[in-house]
Amino acid sequence: MPEVNEYITPNKPTWCPGCGNHNMFEALKHALSELDMDFHEYSMVWGIGCHGNGADFLKTQGFHALHGRALPVATGLSLTRPDLKVIVEMGDGDGYGLGLGHFIHSVRRNVDLTCIAHNNQIYGLTTGQASPTTEHLMRTVSTPEGVLEQPVNPLGLALAEGASFVARGFAGDVPHLTELYKQAIQHKGFALVDVFQRCVTWNKLNTFSWFRERVYELDSVGHDPTDLNGAFELSMTTFHEMTCKPHECRVPIGIFYRDESAPTYNQDAPGANRPGYEGAKAVRDIADLIASYA
Amino acid sequence: MAASSADAVEVRIKIGGPAGFGIKAAGQTLARLFTRSGYYTFDLTEYPSLIKGGHNSYHLRISSEKIFSHVQPVDVLVALDEATVALHLDELTEGAAIIYDPDDFDLSQIEGVPDDVCAVAIPLKQIVRDARGIPIMRNIAALGAVLGHMRFPLDYLLTSITEQFAHKAPEIAEQNIACATAGYEHAQTHQCAFPYHVPECADDGERVLMDGNEAVGAAAIAAGLGLYCAYPMTPASSLLHFLAKHAEHYDFVVKHTEDEIAAMNMVVGGAFGGTRSMCATSGGGFALMVEAFGLAGVSESAVVVGLFTRPGPATGMPTWTEQSDLRFAIHAAQGEFPRVILAPGDVEDAFHLTWQAFNLADQLQTPVVLLGDTYLSDNRQSVEPFDLESIVIDRGDLITEGEVTEYARYRVTPSGVSSRAVPGVRGAEQVVNSYEHDEYGYGAAGEIAEVRIEQNEKRMRKLELARTLVPPPQYFGPAEAELSILVFGSTKMPVREAMSWLEREGVAVNLMQVVTVWPFPAEEVSAFLGKAKRTAIIEGNFTGQLQGLVRELCLTDVDHTLHRYDGRPFSPEQVYGFCKEVLG
Repeated sequence: MPEVNEYITPNKPTWCPGCGNHNMFEALKHALSELDMDFHEYSMVWGIGCHGNGADFLKTQGFHALHGRALPVATGLSLTRPDLKVIVEMGDGDGYGLGLGHFIHSVRRNVDLTCIAHNNQIYGLTTGQASPTTEHLMRTVSTPEGVLEQPVNPLGLALAEGASFVARGFAGDVPHLTELYKQAIQHKGFALVDVFQRCVTWNKLNTFSWFRERVYELDSVGHDPTDLNGAFELSMTTFHEMTCKPHECRVPIGIFYRDESAPTYNQDAPGANRPGYEGAKAVRDIADLIASYA
Repeated sequence: MAASSADAVEVRIKIGGPAGFGIKAAGQTLARLFTRSGYYTFDLTEYPSLIKGGHNSYHLRISSEKIFSHVQPVDVLVALDEATVALHLDELTEGAAIIYDPDDFDLSQIEGVPDDVCAVAIPLKQIVRDARGIPIMRNIAALGAVLGHMRFPLDYLLTSITEQFAHKAPEIAEQNIACATAGYEHAQTHQCAFPYHVPECADDGERVLMDGNEAVGAAAIAAGLGLYCAYPMTPASSLLHFLAKHAEHYDFVVKHTEDEIAAMNMVVGGAFGGTRSMCATSGGGFALMVEAFGLAGVSESAVVVGLFTRPGPATGMPTWTEQSDLRFAIHAAQGEFPRVILAPGDVEDAFHLTWQAFNLADQLQTPVVLLGDTYLSDNRQSVEPFDLESIVIDRGDLITEGEVTEYARYRVTPSGVSSRAVPGVRGAEQVVNSYEHDEYGYGAAGEIAEVRIEQNEKRMRKLELARTLVPPPQYFGPAEAELSILVFGSTKMPVREAMSWLEREGVAVNLMQVVTVWPFPAEEVSAFLGKAKRTAIIEGNFTGQLQGLVRELCLTDVDHTLHRYDGRPFSPEQVYGFCKEVLG
């Protein structure tokens, strides 16, 4: 089985020095290695954004999709290839902006895939505009007077739509993130891991030190991940003001909610129980079907 | 138009009434029984975008000889409400019959009803009450009346009822049979000299009755469809219903998605996994699919897309027909990439072009569009059972199992097609990419000028390969003709019908149907037009989209054009009149 350092390509990562993507890349390689995933056993699907450049760096049989549309591509793959572990990486602008509709629908259909959101609360690749998760009143190049909208609450949305696995990670804690990835990948159904990461170039507010002063592990406070109401309450703590003091807005990380018994779309959809290409090995006999129109 | 020979039989029946009265279902029952009895049939449903209220009509043409399209005249009008009479008065032929319930309205009070109309008053509602049935059964009583009026054996209808209600409580079939029989007997008592008595047909040729969407769906199943994704949009919705109904039995996935953007992206994901994947929609939905359509192009994904046109732009006229998306299909998406666009002209084409579309998509690893329209999607015609033996599956250079070595997904090849090993195959590491990319799919190198040129040229070479693989144009009529007509898509049907009428008058007209509209068969079109005495293009749009292609790619033009953009298909009467006019 591949070692951690084998999950790479000849392409060196081009993310900014200090970018949270480096940490998330490390965590994913460790998770894949620790799960003994060979390269033909999982397929990555990326959206467009800084995170998506990881398509060049991580060794896989993957797909670098359109901006905002990683989830439907991954869904098409998941529904027709039950033999593969499908893992999506998407950005906050990508997956919670353009792709927000797909996100909600993917959650409610509990399609069997892992969804890792690179949530740096800013548009990086397009040079620093406000993203759907940028904090209220934060000034950016596209919102010089400050963001007038409330941020999207991805965990709250996922919980409201009946998600079967909802977790938040912090890119500044690779061992913890690795563990979350492993559990998400092993989960049957839609597994969300929303990851707070820093953008050293464009988001001068939500830095690693900003997060370090605020994050705490849910395990440490004895949160029960089968407690949906408790998970909802925790999800609301993300709506902090940019001016809040560390003790005023604590950011929980870990598994908010998990339901291993939730039926997946894949298990109940006709035709989704075998690789889709098997149906095209020979011409299907439709003589009876045609005869029914006589 | 008169039938071709003295003993030929042709009758046109129209059922009209408010939406929600089950008019189409009743009409299809009639179409089925005439098809079974050996007649050729062709139906045309016209309806507004409403569930209840508004005027619906169902037109059925039956003929003892082969027919190609609907026609306008009506010999038997079943008027389930008063409005139907006024709306279709000008379609009635000499001596036509109006079947109606005198309890609904007084026919003699309606202005403009010709004296020679045969008024067939049938107490439809009373018949239903006597049979202790429910209101919808008056359609069955009306069908009985249609057959009684035409002296056609009632048994066909009774058999059809027995089959249709076999799984229901027995009294339902009994009530329907009572209604049908009473309607039949009432109609035989009328005294007018109706010119068409329809006997059982001597032709015992086997035929099936299908519309374009049913033919597309059946062919897709045969071709090994593994994933169908769609968002409801008229006129493509019935294809979603058809495939959803058969998904479990034939073991494939059907997903009604949150929108068309998801549908197109999902089928790209399905194709990535090696699955034969398809979506279909109308123009508005395709507008949403366009970015992902381009994704299929640059990522070299084998997908099939149904684009069934209705009048646009925007919401347009949802339940009507047009041929205004030809240029849209050809130019959809930013950038340049190879695509194939096939335009079925009738139900037979719809079936055979669909399974061929899957082969082309796999052979070329690029999107293939089936460009149809409401006229083809919605209307059933009797066709010879499709030659199922002719269907082949060719998946091109595809590897779904085992192992590959030194693999590069986008290997530059002379044909432009690279070997496609799907995820799950050992050694098939790759990035299938929306970005320009190098041979391995890596985006970083895609920005290098030489790599971009190499990959772009590799993709575009597939268009040249496509020219050798795509279905050729179809030609109809004599080699030497007074008028040569060029069409694409469903306009083929009324043109062929009009040609058969002109032929009987000794007027030679021939027809070239551009089947593969992209890559455009410029050489063949130039040759066809070049040797013609007089040329015309008939197309269902305002701007002359096919004509524009001829001007651009053949550097020539035609002598005459006929356009239509009122939501209705061309009628053969209109085409016939056009031909007579241009030929002087």
